[in-house]
Amino acid sequence: MLKEQIENILLKVRNPSRYIGGELNSVVKDKSKVDVRFAFCFPDSYDVGMSHLGMKILYSLKNKRENFWCERVFAPWEDMEALMRENNIPLYALESLDPVKEFDFIGFTIQYELCYTNILNMLDLAGLPVKAKDRTEDMPIVVAGGPCVCNPEPLADFIDIFILGEGEEVNLELMDLYAEMKKRGCSKREFLSEAAKIEGIYVPSFYDVSYNNDGTVAAVLPNHPNASAKIRKRIIKYLDSIYYPESFVVPYCEIVHDRAVVEVMRGCIRGCRFCQAGFIYRPLREKSSETICSQTRSLCESTGYEEVSLSSLSTSDLSSIDETLIKLSEYTDGEKINLSLPSMRIDRFSNELMERLKAIRKSGLTFAPEAGTQRLRDVINKNITEDEIMRACRIAFEGGYTSVKLYFMMGLPTEKDEDIIGIAELAEKIVDLYYQNPNRPKGRHVSISVSCATFVPKPFTPFEFEPQASAEEIDRRQKLLLESIRSKKRINVSWHNYKVSILEAVLAKGDRRLGEVIYEAWKSGCKFDSWSEFYRYELWVKAFEKAGLDMDFYAHRKRSYDEVMPWQHLDYYISREFLIREHKKALNAETTPNCREKCSGCGISAAMGGACFGKN
Amino acid sequence: MEKIDVRAVFSKSGRAIFISHLDLQRTMQRALKRSGLPVWYSQGFNPHIYLNFPLALSLGISSCTEFMDFSVTEEIDFEKAREKLDLAMPDGISVIKLAEPVHKNQDIGFAEYEMKFYGGSPDEMLEGLEKMMSMETIETEKHSKSKGIVKIDIRPHIEILNAEACGDHLFLTVKLPAGGSLNINANVFADAFSDVSGIEFKSICIERTKILCKNGEKFI
Repeated sequence: MLKEQIENILLKVRNPSRYIGGELNSVVKDKSKVDVRFAFCFPDSYDVGMSHLGMKILYSLKNKRENFWCERVFAPWEDMEALMRENNIPLYALESLDPVKEFDFIGFTIQYELCYTNILNMLDLAGLPVKAKDRTEDMPIVVAGGPCVCNPEPLADFIDIFILGEGEEVNLELMDLYAEMKKRGCSKREFLSEAAKIEGIYVPSFYDVSYNNDGTVAAVLPNHPNASAKIRKRIIKYLDSIYYPESFVVPYCEIVHDRAVVEVMRGCIRGCRFCQAGFIYRPLREKSSETICSQTRSLCESTGYEEVSLSSLSTSDLSSIDETLIKLSEYTDGEKINLSLPSMRIDRFSNELMERLKAIRKSGLTFAPEAGTQRLRDVINKNITEDEIMRACRIAFEGGYTSVKLYFMMGLPTEKDEDIIGIAELAEKIVDLYYQNPNRPKGRHVSISVSCATFVPKPFTPFEFEPQASAEEIDRRQKLLLESIRSKKRINVSWHNYKVSILEAVLAKGDRRLGEVIYEAWKSGCKFDSWSEFYRYELWVKAFEKAGLDMDFYAHRKRSYDEVMPWQHLDYYISREFLIREHKKALNAETTPNCREKCSGCGISAAMGGACFGKN
Repeated sequence: MEKIDVRAVFSKSGRAIFISHLDLQRTMQRALKRSGLPVWYSQGFNPHIYLNFPLALSLGISSCTEFMDFSVTEEIDFEKAREKLDLAMPDGISVIKLAEPVHKNQDIGFAEYEMKFYGGSPDEMLEGLEKMMSMETIETEKHSKSKGIVKIDIRPHIEILNAEACGDHLFLTVKLPAGGSLNINANVFADAFSDVSGIEFKSICIERTKILCKNGEKFI
């Protein structure tokens, strides 16, 4: 048993309760009585991973099945990792404290590109070869799902099976198949061959990639009879009736999102052209207000959380939002539970909403205009006007708020200097708006923070053809923005590290050859790349040099409409024709109405039997 | 609204010993919420469950006698309420008793600990203990919020109530000052013992077994 060994080192690390399990509602089973053991790995720290909703859903779903046992695994922080390696403690799962090497499945959820080295590090810490081809029969099947799997090619060397799309059904199908084949004594290869027949299952070793002389992909072709030319993502058709956990594991230490979360919708109607989630999670599906209320109630009762948040990509688009909030607040007010509403659109911001937010905390409001001019907002199809932004800020100021945070992107397609200056001008107008309010708090000044992320073009968006802006160009635009701001005391500007954004772009749009780069980067010490204190850009640069690959080729090259994308064999229902159509409209600053107003013919309706919305 | 004070006695063992004091407060608030007891909330703009821990327990130490005070808004049956609260607790925390508080936080003067040291030979460990107790001063460092690191001589404050070599380990019962005026962490004692004896222990298990008032009475 590892337990004693683990306990002996725990007092030497920060926040030891992260490493010992035993939290309320964690599921402990008798391992002799289960058929399939699944180690659900989140390739980041406990406090980040425990905040992730998808993991909570799949954890409960799998454990509901008597013959399956799903356990949680997170990346140990560096102090813990060092002690584990020093004391020969392999990566273990939190429920049983058994080594994950003994499990049937090791499953990673891949939420962002910058966690890739952590996947390798966790496999290594488990005592397993990181490359799939080096893992033998007696070792676990390594699977991966999550949004990044829409282009999993850079990880193809390390993962046995990718799971495309929504996981509720396909995970159980995969585990059922495994249980049945394990009983029959089938080999890993036989299992992979059978698994490849399941919709949504992508076995990368069953495909060969060929390249053109210019380095672009020539074709991705199956090399196995059971592998289909295109692999389709899985969709849960009816969100209202799909399984949702009645309880969450309640951590001891504080985590990033320490609250009950009720998923109220999947998908988004807006079609913002930069937003990958807006395309890969299509179509929009909603839960009824009854379901939302009953799920809220059972989660709050089973966890004791004093805050619940309604989660979706754009919660104000929930068609029953008003009714739901009224019903929910009857319960939450009585129980002194705070109701939080992230992801609200500026154009839906109202007095009622603000009062609700104020009851939770008065730290400040965050809006996301994304671009500084109307033209550029039209290019990205954000469909928000300056009037709407000003109206939302006016409501906020009249309600007593003195600080507003604004999110923008820099380096968007077609962006010109006037768009950058537009960010400054918009911020200035909001400053002026504050001082025009006669009832503003006496002696209090306004504080506007402008946060600029560097735009990262992503697969399955109309901007997948677009290059990312160069370092020099972003640098120039950042300087321009700073110069354009007059009220330097009132407006604070910040931005993401460009060296992080470029790696994100490379990995997002990369091909299989990047496996070697990721391997080299990890070997040379890269891990926790999304944490600035760990990020080592220079090591990544060296890894690219060693592999003879060029970051610019992946991030800074404009791709033609007929280029074979590395992810072209994956079918997210979003057609290339639609993406091209949207891209052309973007270049002309033409907007596309949201899915409720008018179907834009992206292709997803095929998954819903012809139409996403009733009689649309 | 009525406000009746309740004192819970609970134990903390197993995996729960790695819950820090700060995390324990959150854990207890949630347990109280889940228990469905008529818990009293602080009044004001942002109401929250009122909790008081008369004596914090250091990380890694188990205990069969921890205390937590909260309030309720109506009379409760202590035994029934204890059962409810106990059911709402995570693994490793058990609620032993609910009662009206008698003593105040500042009455606390001492705590007793049972400690098991593994990793040395019994003779070596007993010898080390003797050496330690024959010293005139044992200087240790203590982190203080206001003064930073302060040096403190813990020797005059250590009372060894029992010491036995039991096969593979040394079993000690130690009484140390506890509470607001002077508090000596059992881990500080264990570290000092390790330093003085020169033994690198393989593992040390510490359990708090009593909390006492300054006058020697049991804190209740």
